[in-house]
Amino acid sequence: MIRFGLALSLGLLVALSAEGEPVAFRADVAPLLQKKCLLCHAGERAKGGLDLTTRAKAIEGGANGPALAPGKAAASKLFKMVADGKMPPKNPLSASEIETLRRWIDEGAKWDGEPLRAAVEAAKRAGADWWSLQPIRRPSVPNIANASNPIDAFILSELKKRGLSANPPADRRTLIRRVTLDLTGLRPTPDDVAAFEADPSPLAYERLVDRLLASPAYGERWGRHWLDVVRFAESSGYEVNNPRPNAWGYRDYVIRALNRDVPFKQFVREQLASDTVSEGDPWATGFLVGGSHDLVGNQTEEGTRQIRSDDLFDMVSTTSTAFLGLTAGCARCHDHKFDPIAQRDFYALEAIFAGVVHEERPLRGADRAGHASEVAATRKRFAELDRELDAAEPLANPMASRNSRPPINARRNVERFEPVEALFVRMTISATNNGAEPCIDEFEIYIPERVGGNLALTGKATASSEYPNADIHKIRHLNDGKLGNSRSWISAEAGRGWAQIELPRVAKIDTIVWGRDREQKFVDRVPSKYRIEVSLDGKDWRAIASDSDRGPSYVPPEKSKSLSTERMSLELKLAGLERVPTAYIGNFKQPSPTFLLKRGDVMQPGDAVTPGAIRAVGRSLELKANATDPERRTALADWLADPMNPLPARVMVNRVWHFHFGQGLVRTPSDFGFNGDRPSHPELLDWLASEFRDNGGYLKPIHRLIVMSNTYRQSSRIDAERARIDTTNRALWRFPSRRIEAEAVRDTVLQTTGTLNRQAGGPGYQIWNTSNYVTIYEPKKMLGPDEFRRMVYQFKPRTQQDGTFGAFDCPDATTATPRRPVSTTALQALNLLNDAFVHDQADRFAERVRTAGTTRDQVNFAFRFALQRAPSEREASAAERLLTDVGLNHLCRMLLNANEFVTLE
Amino acid sequence: MHPLSNLGRALLNRRDFLANTATGLSGVALASLCAAESGPIRPSIRPESPLAPRQPHFEAKAKRVLHIFCSGACSHLDTWDYKPELVKRHGQPMPGTDKLVTFQGENGNLSRSPYAFKQHGESGKYVSSLIPNLAELVDEMCFIHSMTAKASSHGPGESQANTGFALEGFPSAGAWVTYALGTENQDLPAYVAIPDPRGVPQIGPANWNNAFLPAVFQGTAFNADRPIANLKSARALDPRSESAARDFLKLLNDEHLKRNPEDSELAARIAAYEMAGRMQLKAAEVADLTRETKATHAAYGTDDSNKYTAGFARNCLLARRLLESGVRFVQLFNGAFAMGEGVGNWDGHKQLKADYDRHGPILDRPLAALLRDLKSRGLLKDTLVVWSTEFGRMPTFQKGTNGRDHNPKGFTTWFAGAGVKRAYSHGATDEFGHKSVEKVATVFDFHATMLHLLGLDHERLSFYSSGIERRLTDVHGHVIREVLA
Repeated sequence: MIRFGLALSLGLLVALSAEGEPVAFRADVAPLLQKKCLLCHAGERAKGGLDLTTRAKAIEGGANGPALAPGKAAASKLFKMVADGKMPPKNPLSASEIETLRRWIDEGAKWDGEPLRAAVEAAKRAGADWWSLQPIRRPSVPNIANASNPIDAFILSELKKRGLSANPPADRRTLIRRVTLDLTGLRPTPDDVAAFEADPSPLAYERLVDRLLASPAYGERWGRHWLDVVRFAESSGYEVNNPRPNAWGYRDYVIRALNRDVPFKQFVREQLASDTVSEGDPWATGFLVGGSHDLVGNQTEEGTRQIRSDDLFDMVSTTSTAFLGLTAGCARCHDHKFDPIAQRDFYALEAIFAGVVHEERPLRGADRAGHASEVAATRKRFAELDRELDAAEPLANPMASRNSRPPINARRNVERFEPVEALFVRMTISATNNGAEPCIDEFEIYIPERVGGNLALTGKATASSEYPNADIHKIRHLNDGKLGNSRSWISAEAGRGWAQIELPRVAKIDTIVWGRDREQKFVDRVPSKYRIEVSLDGKDWRAIASDSDRGPSYVPPEKSKSLSTERMSLELKLAGLERVPTAYIGNFKQPSPTFLLKRGDVMQPGDAVTPGAIRAVGRSLELKANATDPERRTALADWLADPMNPLPARVMVNRVWHFHFGQGLVRTPSDFGFNGDRPSHPELLDWLASEFRDNGGYLKPIHRLIVMSNTYRQSSRIDAERARIDTTNRALWRFPSRRIEAEAVRDTVLQTTGTLNRQAGGPGYQIWNTSNYVTIYEPKKMLGPDEFRRMVYQFKPRTQQDGTFGAFDCPDATTATPRRPVSTTALQALNLLNDAFVHDQADRFAERVRTAGTTRDQVNFAFRFALQRAPSEREASAAERLLTDVGLNHLCRMLLNANEFVTLE
Repeated sequence: MHPLSNLGRALLNRRDFLANTATGLSGVALASLCAAESGPIRPSIRPESPLAPRQPHFEAKAKRVLHIFCSGACSHLDTWDYKPELVKRHGQPMPGTDKLVTFQGENGNLSRSPYAFKQHGESGKYVSSLIPNLAELVDEMCFIHSMTAKASSHGPGESQANTGFALEGFPSAGAWVTYALGTENQDLPAYVAIPDPRGVPQIGPANWNNAFLPAVFQGTAFNADRPIANLKSARALDPRSESAARDFLKLLNDEHLKRNPEDSELAARIAAYEMAGRMQLKAAEVADLTRETKATHAAYGTDDSNKYTAGFARNCLLARRLLESGVRFVQLFNGAFAMGEGVGNWDGHKQLKADYDRHGPILDRPLAALLRDLKSRGLLKDTLVVWSTEFGRMPTFQKGTNGRDHNPKGFTTWFAGAGVKRAYSHGATDEFGHKSVEKVATVFDFHATMLHLLGLDHERLSFYSSGIERRLTDVHGHVIREVLA
């Protein structure tokens, strides 16, 4: 296995430093400390308390006192221990290394840049010198005869070393079938195959590739790959697993972005922070909240924190595996055991997302210029109208007959009366409109002309009872100035209850306003029989208003009518202004401070951590503690897209390679760390990464390079001799044939039978009937043309699998799936043989085939559509026999079950 | 039926073929380290028979597992964990817990169980009157009274109980076990999840998820009233026509294999179709409860007037038939998703007695009959039975209600059968049953012990995923040695 990077002889570097020149810290000293000292003397658990990662800490020293005296090597404990051979205990420094150290200290112990990180024995774990963290260097292309495509040069050179050779080219039918399935997830039509087979032009293949890459089907195919990588699904997960009916736009965004081949920088920036990009696609931030979110809630402090912590963990691990190929999530509880990711790095990344919440956000309109002020002005006029209408209402009179005042309504009711002195105001409810415990969202008290505003805000609220176990319905919400059900008082007595306000001092009041839900979402629990009384001592009460004089036949004065009309039109206007389509694309708020959690325990916060990135990767990213939420996400996006960051380009081109060849150059596409795979062709990987990075970060040219290579175009035939040398075909002596994915099976069943519905985008098609409360997904019994769209457009709830095709290793989107397993199971066979969907499709296929002519014509037609080839004589005669004896639909169903049908070869 | 061609057979018998990583069945970077003293053990799996029986890491006490899972958090204080102090101090505040807030909010006073506790069996174990039939079997059981869980809400709680992780996305215990051991009967699913007649449990298929393990290790969900999906053709087919059609398919596949010699994945798929054919016969036979005697049906209560009791009884009977036929792991669910608090499962927040009066009898007699049946057939000797729930419930009633809130700090599970002590109780909660205080056990310990009894080292059974060798027990867990027979 080839490793490159800093695994150089550090001793050699030291020796290169010329006499007379000052010692260079970065080149000469840092590697020495990193390799020989920092394994023990770094971080919080440094041995003897001595931490040599920064100059200040080295000077400060540990349990045995200061360790470094700049300018005075002889007085420095660090030097003495090393010179005496006491340190490092097992692996003492060479004489020249000791000399370097002495000179460096005597010259003032200059120390520039970042805190140092330990370089680690590659056999145990990865350090800062790990291969994937080193800068991408564009290697020269091996000089191989007949290799016009650099990919082939790298592959052939490696094959040659191992005494292997590549397969001859695949035949044309195989090639067009392969590249069409691979790039678009669909099959070529029989006409496409015939035309390609007959095309004598040397450019025929290239034109085919260009046509496929330009086809919208490309984004539908490769978009699905990305959705796997980022664990996208359209439900909340966990117990309730509620659908997110407006999350689909992220899927469309991904498809759109791939079809337009947006540059990588934009691809990253939009998904992390499209809200900060002018003309940014608002759907893109669906990336941030594409994961699970426990909707149940939890009244305990620990439970509430845990839910939030899990949300942020999901964002950090998804971002870091998707873009960096690093499993930063592993550093949630402790420093990463295998990769140079400190626990602090995890929380620095968590701080980046600390302002992101799992919520819907208006898609557009709300951020339109002037929208907010228009809403505010409308609301203000609305409130004025309320007051004018209040003034037009008759005084309450408990003695008067019914219908003297307007009927009670759920939103807002006013009680006007002659001014009366009051210290206590009490509302006693004896019935509600639906018999349930009464609810009041706010109870307001005013003196004449409403001078000084709502007096109740300064009063003390008490009640006969409070609704149990519901923090949002406590009596304190009666006069908290907040409107709506979620801050309201509900009693614990069905249909009854009283609430009272004790004012801070006696006041002469003349108006009371109360309502059930001023946000107009709820119309239950409305008091229907009540009386309002005042008292100066809490003992003697005087009734001032009740329901008795209200009634539905009340006729308002003319003035009220015109005001009501205006209010109604404003109500409609407000509803229009507020009816901005919202989407599950996350919401943003000013982040609160982030703390490192000891052992990942939400109840054990440690030091505050400022937003940043993984310190061992790329350029340093450190933001201030008060950085705004958009600043944070933007900064991380820029850091990820920085050409100096070696990981994203390597990771992206490797993903492309992985999906083309079934296995990546690194076979763990989201793990470029110690536990991941080592690249089979490190130079090829870097060459591709530099192509990608240096040419603007476009994916389509990379696809083109790959599929144009002879490596890609070779036959998949297995040669026993070469298979013995390279069983897993890592050297790529053949094109790796494999079973196609669930989506490609379903899509091309539909395509073969002629029923594929190409409707693109928009809300997904439904294969489920869903229950409410917690959501249970029951498969629909019968599917029709609306559900015959490509599977990438299937509404995708978490943990639920398509009943027919899910068994083909479809991810359930609970976590990211950078690489799907490829299982072969009996249940898959049962599904394709017996499922109602397949029977139905076989019938449709049969209808299509039946018009072809003679039985032999029908057989030929069916083979050409299903397998993109004519049958052999043996197959044709067996097929004809089956067709005649048993029926055409059986023949059609068996073709859809054939190994060849589901194999990319 | 449709025998594999000689070409395919030869290919499948070749030993080296399974190194093919494109199947995803063999791990990625590391070779199997089975021979080493420590480090991960990944079973070597043959793609054409991924469920073939495999050797455990060391001698196993149990060959198979029956896991009864009570969804919704079945109260330990109203079933297995007798607390006289709760009776004495009924109606008083719980000392030291002023204004204690749990999952749903504030708690009221201590509350004794609405069910009386009596001693049972030779061991004299106290069990509540809610489950009189199970109470008679206490001498078979090995209780762990000191369980603790990580989460206090159902989603994460149920996830941890069945996958080890409170987060979503990890393989269930049954998936791990079948990944490690394969199964004895190749004509049946290796791992069966039997949902309650009232519906699927709270996190649904995540309870029998394969997650990052290959799909072949996912639990197959069916019960006595809803057979395996697509086991039967959606259409009535003439068997001779179907046989002719499958012969044609075989011809197509054989011809294709001839054109692609040496391709073991193609041979594996042919083998999977053969297995599907055998499964259609065998699974239908095992699921056919009419083959049982009237007396057996009567003992389980499959004719109970309560349709849920009858349904659960049929599920219990199905479980026995599956275990008897060599299914490796059977998960038997009691209780379904939330249909309103406490309605469909054990989540008795507001009116515990009314809820449990409905749920108790559904569980009690059928499960007791199943345990007796396993014992009389000698299956308890090599079958490990485990009973669990996601967490316990509070010794107090929730403020203003007659029910108990969630309590992950103390609850009870039990083992029975192969390899565990009989009539034994391990650990204890405090005097009120609030927190585990004696020999505190975690869900990781529970899983570690289950794997140990199957001859598996929970620290070594692993699968590479996202940067780490993943285990059922994360980086935790100790085998609870005291419960081993």
